[in-house]
Amino acid sequence: MLKLIGAIFILMATTWAGFEAGRNLSRRTRQLRQLKVALQSLESEIMYGHTPLREAALKLAKQHSKPLSLLFESFAEKLSDGGTTVKIAWDDSLEEIWKLLSLKQGEFEILSQFGETLGQHNRYHQQQKILLTMSHLEREEQDAAERQGKYEKMFKSLGFLSGLLLIILLI
Amino acid sequence: MGIEVDVIFKIAGVGIVVAFLHTILDQVGKKEYAQWVTLFGFIYILFMVASIVEDLFQKIKSVFLFQG
Repeated sequence: MLKLIGAIFILMATTWAGFEAGRNLSRRTRQLRQLKVALQSLESEIMYGHTPLREAALKLAKQHSKPLSLLFESFAEKLSDGGTTVKIAWDDSLEEIWKLLSLKQGEFEILSQFGETLGQHNRYHQQQKILLTMSHLEREEQDAAERQGKYEKMFKSLGFLSGLLLIILLI
Repeated sequence: MGIEVDVIFKIAGVGIVVAFLHTILDQVGKKEYAQWVTLFGFIYILFMVASIVEDLFQKIKSVFLFQG
């Protein structure tokens, strides 16, 4: 009886771990898509709305859902506190939020490079930079979608099967 | 006798699960991991069988050589 309960616990734990690993992949795709949409609306805020960066960031924070909105929220907060350059504020908020996102190191580099150009040029240069960042993110998103299609199912069944194997070995 | 039937089922279970793992890893293109998994499953079963065969040899020795 006790063995059975233990076996069920092991199976549940490994299955959950597998599902979590699979979900991580789909989270990455979703967050990249959201990030692209956010950059698009940032572009339109800058180009057509002539909105200051802080207000644009606040608007973006309102538009998006949890993990990504925190990035823009803390960015806006740091900007309104003042005393830093835009680049440092962006980098700091990026690093703060990074643990909550399921993105990879490559995306971090892209975003931190984007922060370097933020608020330094006129609008047309800024638009060019946003478009460049968006095309980088596009490529990463394709990569993420490919990985998701390939590995999501594998992680799920791998978790379950490795649990089953562990149970058989331990009995 | 009961123990031996148990062992046979265990080997069968390991075989089935390892076969599934191999198929899944093969499908997503992780051929080398698939081969490692199969190899480790095989080695594990080999050890199990070796211990059973050792039991058998001990029994034969005790029957024919009159030891413990």
